Amino acid sequence: MNHNKEFEQLVQQYMDGRITEADMELLNERLGCDPNARKWFNELLNLDSALAAVAAGELPDNEPQVISKRKRNQTEVPAAIWILCTLASLFLLAGSIRWWQTSWQVFATVSSAAGVDDYREGTLLRKQIVTINKGSLEFVTTNGARIAIEAPARFRFESAQQLHLFNGRMAADVPPSAKGFTVITPTGKAVDLGTKFGVDVPVQGNAEIHVFQGEVIAQSSGGGKRRSLKDGEAFLLQTGAGACRELRSSAFIRPGEVASLHAALAEGQQEKSIQARKRLQNDPALIAYLDFESDELPKGTYRVGQGRWPGSRAPEFVNLGDHMKIDAGAYREWPELTLATWVRLDQLGEPFQSLLHTDGWGEQDGQVHWMVTHKSTMRFAMFGNQLASDSTSQHGFPDSLKPVLPQRGRWVHLAVVYNSARGSVRFYFNGKFDNEERQQVAHPARLGPGQIGNWDFRDRKLSGRMDELLILGRAMNDDEIHRLFESGTPYR
Amino acid sequence: MPAEDNQNRHQKFLRAFTTHEPAVRAFVRRLVPSRTDADDVLQEVSIVLWEKFDEFHAGADFKAWACGIARFKVLAWLRDKGRDRLVLNTDVVELIAADSLRDEPHLQKQRIALESCFEKVPAAERKLLTRAYQADANIRETAATSGRSIGGFYQWLYRMRQTLLECVRRTIAQETSA
Repeated sequence: MNHNKEFEQLVQQYMDGRITEADMELLNERLGCDPNARKWFNELLNLDSALAAVAAGELPDNEPQVISKRKRNQTEVPAAIWILCTLASLFLLAGSIRWWQTSWQVFATVSSAAGVDDYREGTLLRKQIVTINKGSLEFVTTNGARIAIEAPARFRFESAQQLHLFNGRMAADVPPSAKGFTVITPTGKAVDLGTKFGVDVPVQGNAEIHVFQGEVIAQSSGGGKRRSLKDGEAFLLQTGAGACRELRSSAFIRPGEVASLHAALAEGQQEKSIQARKRLQNDPALIAYLDFESDELPKGTYRVGQGRWPGSRAPEFVNLGDHMKIDAGAYREWPELTLATWVRLDQLGEPFQSLLHTDGWGEQDGQVHWMVTHKSTMRFAMFGNQLASDSTSQHGFPDSLKPVLPQRGRWVHLAVVYNSARGSVRFYFNGKFDNEERQQVAHPARLGPGQIGNWDFRDRKLSGRMDELLILGRAMNDDEIHRLFESGTPYR
Repeated sequence: MPAEDNQNRHQKFLRAFTTHEPAVRAFVRRLVPSRTDADDVLQEVSIVLWEKFDEFHAGADFKAWACGIARFKVLAWLRDKGRDRLVLNTDVVELIAADSLRDEPHLQKQRIALESCFEKVPAAERKLLTRAYQADANIRETAATSGRSIGGFYQWLYRMRQTLLECVRRTIAQETSA
């Protein structure tokens, strides 16, 4: 081959990023007109790729490497991992399966991403730490398990069958081909036996496993016993032990939901929601509009989770006593009232779930208690009011007809419109009119101090997230409620 | 798309991509100045491959299809970065890409042969090479641990690559004649 040492030196300097501008010109010129030079160049750079792969395989320990974010808004995998994968496939070609058993191969691809800038659809996931601060991700493993993870979350695939969840909330649909899929948490692990389940790992506290369908084996770390969990069961993983929990059916973004969230974002739904909020904030009848985005949130006992939009906030109520104190509209009576909220609530049965309760019941006519009953219908109770004599309500209070909590947790929009002059209570579910109840005694509403979530008595709790609460001192019409839903829905 | 079809599509894609990634990656590496640049481009390529996977017909040559897309991505990358980086001219890149695709079977053999050649490198030097080729390698520190100046270390690295390339060629020549 006809080339000289000087040319070889140029190539080596170029590939190490040490070439000067003048030499780069020389290199370009030589490569442009000398096929032999190109051949040598190609072989040396080819060797560079392969050498990096082999060298990465020589690593004394196989500690996974953290993805670093460079300038581009892309997830980038360290060269060592890429190259190891390269090598893995080379060995495959050479007839060896040994490299398939290493942890460096591709374990999943992102199938949907809603509001997660660094991971687009099609991004490959390997043994790498993935951190998402906002939005939600869905991916499919090489064995066909579908997994949805909601921010904030940090996780790493150990293999196609093993996911290490450091913190965050994930739900998995595991087909028979991926039976045995395991989620490892700081306080224990969950082994799937062909099922749909969720794992919640809070930043502080113990992990929980929730089984929606099928069977999962839960095992706390530190020698905890193996425990079989079936449909509708949930378990708290504690070191050396564990405890049963109530199923939080809505706490998890499930596979399939991320695509719908992504589609809405792509259509600019979040911006529409912001514009609608601005309009409402200028409504002269506005009593309160809680979006839970300000730095100072109302007092109470609750967690803060992600709202409908990537990175937005929503108070989350988990334990029986969880609540948020509010105080709005105390200064006068309200002959008309509209209450509307976006919630993601668990199906509980007993007890009732308190959406908004004014403090006390019985001191003053017009005190407002808005809730979801054990039958999952909405109830709007006002102290001192009486149903019309021809009312068909079975329970003595105005109730919606349809259950408002879907089987599979999703964000839903609940609204009620009260008009004391007409004696009417109108219920709306996801923007659609559901039912009207008439009242023969209808006091103007009295607001003031009150709370979202657990009320003073033991029979009220709230289990789930609330994102936005509108309290408006006038009666919205059907069209307005519909538009409120349309402009605020996070789905398409 | 029904969830099951989508899942199936993901699995098919993963299989094809994992098998052919080495070739695509080496192809990209030959066209951009550094391995880190190749990482950047390859991640973008994988996303486009996924997006266009429906256009890929089963039984067709995935490697050729992927390299075609990679070529476009490299050219776009060069347009983007070429102003403030020392990169190959576009026409040179086109020539190298064409040579690369023509010589791929041979280059693939070379990549495979490298493993046995690497094994033959004396342990101390192999360790040093390993260190220099890590993704986050710091050449200054690596040079210092070997007791060489930076310049001296690069000269050593050049010799090692040269030696390995000769070994790779010899290995393939022997296989061919065997």
